[in-house]
Amino acid sequence: MSDRPDISPEDSAEAAEYALGLLSGSERSAFEARLASDADLRAELAAWQSRFAEIAMSEVEEVTPPARVEKALLGRLFPAPAARPGWIERFGLARLYGAVFLLAALLLWVVVDLPPRPAYPPENAAYSAQIAAEDGSLVVIAQYDAARGELYLERQEGDARPGRDLELWLIAGEEAPISLGVLNRDQGRERLALAPELETALSDGVLAISDEPRGGSPTGAPTGDVLAVGAVSEV
Amino acid sequence: MTDASAIEGLIARTALKDRAAFQALYAATSAKLFGVCLRVLKDRAEAEDALQEVFVKIWHRADRYRVTGHSPMTWLITVARNSAIDRLRKRPRESGGVDVEDLALSDPTPGPEAQAVASGEAARIAGCLDELEQDRAAAVRGAYLEGETYADLARRFDVPINTMRTWLRRSLMKLKECLTA
Repeated sequence: MSDRPDISPEDSAEAAEYALGLLSGSERSAFEARLASDADLRAELAAWQSRFAEIAMSEVEEVTPPARVEKALLGRLFPAPAARPGWIERFGLARLYGAVFLLAALLLWVVVDLPPRPAYPPENAAYSAQIAAEDGSLVVIAQYDAARGELYLERQEGDARPGRDLELWLIAGEEAPISLGVLNRDQGRERLALAPELETALSDGVLAISDEPRGGSPTGAPTGDVLAVGAVSEV
Repeated sequence: MTDASAIEGLIARTALKDRAAFQALYAATSAKLFGVCLRVLKDRAEAEDALQEVFVKIWHRADRYRVTGHSPMTWLITVARNSAIDRLRKRPRESGGVDVEDLALSDPTPGPEAQAVASGEAARIAGCLDELEQDRAAAVRGAYLEGETYADLARRFDVPINTMRTWLRRSLMKLKECLTA
C-alpha cells in the first residue's frame, strides 16, 4: 500500500480513527459524507484498514473454532433436510446455463399467458412432492396433473420475504436447476404449466424453492437462499 | 494458511453462491477470524456467535469484496474485527470498562504458528509498532484489537481525553511513516 502524498496528515489521521471506530457520532457522519465524494480519502481508509489488518495477521493467534460453529452456520445459511445434502450442494454449484435460461423464460411466458383458471388439486396426481423447509417455516405441496400437464401447488406454510419472491426449481440428475416459475404471492394455490419434455425429469427429480428478487432470479439460476426442498415420488 | 490468491479465488466463487468454495474458505480462514473475535470479545461463547455472524456476512457480501480493493485477508479480518467490535459495544457497560490487568494477561505474543504465517508486510508492522514507545503501541493495539474508545484509553493511561487523542494521532502518523518508508 503506497503512501499518498495528496492526503493531508489530518485527513489520514481521521481516516485511521474512522477505521478504528474512534470518531464520535457527528464526526463519523461528517467523515462518511466526505468519503462518498472523495476517492483519495477512500483509498487512505482502505490503506489504514490494510495496515491494521496486518496487526491482526501478525499478532492474533489462530484458534480453531469448535465444529458446532460451522454446523450452526451451515444450518442457518442452507436450511434443508439433512438426508439430502447432495441436492443442495448441486443447487449451490449451479451456474448460468443459456439453455436453461431460455427454457425458464419460455415457461414463465407460458405461465403468464395462460388464462386465469381456479387452481384445484388434480384428481389423479401422477407424482407428488412435499417441498418443505427443515424447520417447517415453508411448506408447499406439489402434485403433477399428467392429464393437463400442470403442476398443482398448494402453499401450506410460509410466504415470500418482504420485497422478494419465491421461485420453484426442478433438479434432475446432474443437471443444473431448471426454473419452473415464480410462485404467486397472493394465492396459496396455483397451477404452473410444465413443458412436456420435463415430465420425465420431474418423475425422479427434486423440487426446491429459493428466495429471489421480485420477478424471479435475474440469471436463470438460483441466486438466493434455498428455503425448501422435496423429492418427487410416484403417487 | 492458504495463500492469498487461493483465498481470493474462494471468495470469488463464494460470490457465485458456490457452497463448496464457501466451506473451503471457512476451513482456510475461520481459525484466524475466530482468533480475532476471541481477542476482541474475550468470551468464547460470544466469539462463536460473532464468528457465525461474520461468515453469514461473508456469504452475503462476497460479491462486494472486489470493489473494496483490499487483499483477501484484509477484507476478511476487517469484516471480523468490525463485527466483533459492534458486538462488544452493544454490551451493557456496567462492568466499568476494560480491566488493565486483563489486558496485561492477554497481551499479544505471537505464537509460532502466527509467526510462521506472518507475511513480510505483517512482520513490518510488528517492527514499526516496536519503534513506538511501548504504551503508545499498546494504545494502537488497544483501539484496534480490543475496541477501546478514547475514553477507555484515557482512563487506562490516566490522561485527559484530548491528550489521549493527540497522542494516538501522532503515534498513528509515525506508524504510517515507518510503514511507507
